[in-house]
Amino acid sequence: MSTPIKIDIWSDIACPWCYIGKRHFEAGVAALGDDAPEIEVEYHSFELAPDTPVDFEGSEIDFLAKHKGMPAERVQQMLQHVTGVAANAGLDYDFDALQHTKTLKAHELLHFAKSEGRQLELAERLFRAYFTEGRHVGRVDELVALAADAGLDADAAREALESGRFAAAVQADIAQAGAYGINGVPFFVIDGKYGVSGAQPAEVFGQVLTQVAGERDGAVA
Amino acid sequence: MTAADASTAVAATDASAGAPAEASASPFTMVTGAPGAMVCEGDVCFVPGADAATE
Repeated sequence: MSTPIKIDIWSDIACPWCYIGKRHFEAGVAALGDDAPEIEVEYHSFELAPDTPVDFEGSEIDFLAKHKGMPAERVQQMLQHVTGVAANAGLDYDFDALQHTKTLKAHELLHFAKSEGRQLELAERLFRAYFTEGRHVGRVDELVALAADAGLDADAAREALESGRFAAAVQADIAQAGAYGINGVPFFVIDGKYGVSGAQPAEVFGQVLTQVAGERDGAVA
Repeated sequence: MTAADASTAVAATDASAGAPAEASASPFTMVTGAPGAMVCEGDVCFVPGADAATE
């Protein structure tokens, strides 16, 4: 039996193109059908805006316009654009409901989930909570509830968050991104060899997976 | 995005031989992919190499 192709993904829960890129990647794999190679996906932490407060009173437009000084009209255009692309990917983004927050604790929870074998379930749950449900993914109580939704033990999730025992793992991921020269996300590393930057269309992911699988077959032959 | 747009996906570029700036220190062979693919840095998202930031 061959080893699955490893897919390492650096992303942030607060990154709109990371969720879209996730959907595109999934669609790329699905489009391969029976020819899809076996893969193993692992998410890695990347904090887009470390200066973001846990609690911010206001909308995403308020945050980007007032907190960051971007023109409100420009922000609205940006959000309309990303909402449209998300819709094409089957995602119902709601920037009016979105609660801008610091994502460090959410990343700690993703590492806890990885240790429990449920990281993919939690990643999906956190993205959905943040971009489509207006949930607050910076607060421990909310994160514990989302962890339970993803099939994790609520008490264990709370202990993991309150103890901060996965904080070092988060920082190690961020440092690794820096060492790799990753400045933006999403960033996909395929089989430890190919780098794919950005929310590429599904076809790109399908093609690179097919290429890697073919290279492996060639190496075996 | 069409399949044609993605046709350069596996025209991989060796990072040490002229890859995009954001991957200049990357140990990976960068997949060129679609030129319009968005990435996020800080609070803005953009097409690498394009002038105007957008989300």
